Amino acid sequence: MDELTRSLAWFRPELALVVGLVLVVVADSFGGASRNFVMRLLTTGALAAALGFALQLQAEGAKAALFSGMLVIDPLSAAFKLVLIAAGLLTVLAFSFRNSRELHGLGQGELFALVLALVLSCLLLAASNDIVMLYLALEMVSITSYVMVAYLKGDRMSNEASLKYVLFGAASTGTMLYGLSLLYGLAGTTSMPGIQEYLAGGIPDQNRFAVYAVTLLVLAGFGFKIAAVPFHFWCPDVYQGAATPVTALLSVLPKAAGLAITLRFFYGTLSVPESGAWDLAGSIHWTALLMLISVLTMTLGNVAALTQTNMKRLLAYSSIAHAGFLLMGIVALSENGARGLLVYLAAYLVMNLGAFLVVTLVHLHDGSFDLRDYPGLYRRAPLLTLAMAFFLLSLVGIPPFVGFLAKLYVFAAVIEKGMGLYATIAALNVAIAAYYSFKVLKVMTIDPGNEDKPALKLALADQVWLAAFALANLVPLLFWDRIEGWARGALVLYAGG
Amino acid sequence: MIGLQHYLVVAAALFALGVLGLLTRRNAVHVLMSIELILNSANVNLVAFSRYAAGNLGGQVFAVFVIVVAASEVAVALAIVLTLYRLRRTPNLDDADILKG
Repeated sequence: MDELTRSLAWFRPELALVVGLVLVVVADSFGGASRNFVMRLLTTGALAAALGFALQLQAEGAKAALFSGMLVIDPLSAAFKLVLIAAGLLTVLAFSFRNSRELHGLGQGELFALVLALVLSCLLLAASNDIVMLYLALEMVSITSYVMVAYLKGDRMSNEASLKYVLFGAASTGTMLYGLSLLYGLAGTTSMPGIQEYLAGGIPDQNRFAVYAVTLLVLAGFGFKIAAVPFHFWCPDVYQGAATPVTALLSVLPKAAGLAITLRFFYGTLSVPESGAWDLAGSIHWTALLMLISVLTMTLGNVAALTQTNMKRLLAYSSIAHAGFLLMGIVALSENGARGLLVYLAAYLVMNLGAFLVVTLVHLHDGSFDLRDYPGLYRRAPLLTLAMAFFLLSLVGIPPFVGFLAKLYVFAAVIEKGMGLYATIAALNVAIAAYYSFKVLKVMTIDPGNEDKPALKLALADQVWLAAFALANLVPLLFWDRIEGWARGALVLYAGG
Repeated sequence: MIGLQHYLVVAAALFALGVLGLLTRRNAVHVLMSIELILNSANVNLVAFSRYAAGNLGGQVFAVFVIVVAASEVAVALAIVLTLYRLRRTPNLDDADILKG
């Protein structure tokens, strides 16, 4: 009982989301004209409260196992929670049923409830300390996202996207589950610290193959969540078929939570901290495997993005490529790598959400996601085009935007470990990303067309959010030491029972 | 005498059948059944390990959770397949082909 009340105190962000979730469902069941406004208010309120609690937890710097070792609270999970809740909050604030042509006129309560459930499940996934919890949280993330993708009920694209998502998802999480069951058999425990202890004690030779197989099988589940090659096939279709606000949310939240658990699993279970650095537990050489996946992911994502004309597909392939860059932070197997991953995720949040906001707004006014309808936007919507330039340059990693600094961290972490070739391939990928990003900018500014269309009349709220996201790609540089301090303070991985 | 190995072989066979079904079946409901095979292969593993190797109930508890999650996952998946059927009058996955590139 004592342990339960102590755990609940560390569980405040999640509790705030649960309360918000229940209230949204209750509010939705009452009729009334102000219902939608109330539900939106409840959702933002719950997310804001959760953000406040997560900030508190990080300031306290607590390290403990919660609920009999199911979850863990440590500065690293608190930092990931901050990023996840901020992603949910920004999406709910910047995207709405008003500025999305696809969602316009649909029932709102379910989507708000699903957003809260998705953020909640991502928080649980990022803090899992037991493979039962890991599996449950991963499935909760998956099932909520399936429903969100299928939200446009009569829409063929939304239906096809959700179908592909659910089949790929169920297959890869099933594969992961088979791996987890073998891991339980090997270690005799479901607790991740317990498994680490087993692996660190040295693996008998006859079990070595099984541990490698487990690593591969588990990667199927993680790779699906972060959309890494070869588990990425669903990603472009789902991003295209889902409503754009949902796509924006899905491009950040599950990816961030998936990377958090990948980091926790590979650093906290498959490796052992040794005097400041990390050692591979039981000499399972997963870094080479992850490096291969990372290289394939960034290369395939960027090359496939070259030929895309649908903006949602283009951003989908770009987000696959970013998963490859983000994995660099994990492959480095160092504190600098983990710090790079955190900084990169925070930067990815503002640049990616901003880019999706631009796509949503263009679709709201022109009804098109096609790049061939983008010419003339420079004249018709200067602010929007300028903001898009910020986001695209940041996504490529051009100084002085935050995307550049984020790449700097992961590249430095990899080079520091002597993986020069890896860094070179990644740098070449930046060049490919620059090509298609500049192509989009060229279409928006230079290409002729749409001369007869009137200027876009952006609502004030949309203009404010565009400006806010654009500034968020630039302003953090002024107080970068504080962001670096935040990421540095977060590098404590607690792996106790 | 039936031991751990027998269960593991059965589980591995179930897993292989599930993957085979995933790759070859074109009917959405058959694919969902194949996924169930994969999940249940893991369940057999978990319960067998719990009984013979680990000596604790962790695996059995895990298996109960898996059953619950599998049920809710299939509920969502079937709803989506039903929508597919309503929109296109077919449960065939090859006909869902408007998203590509």
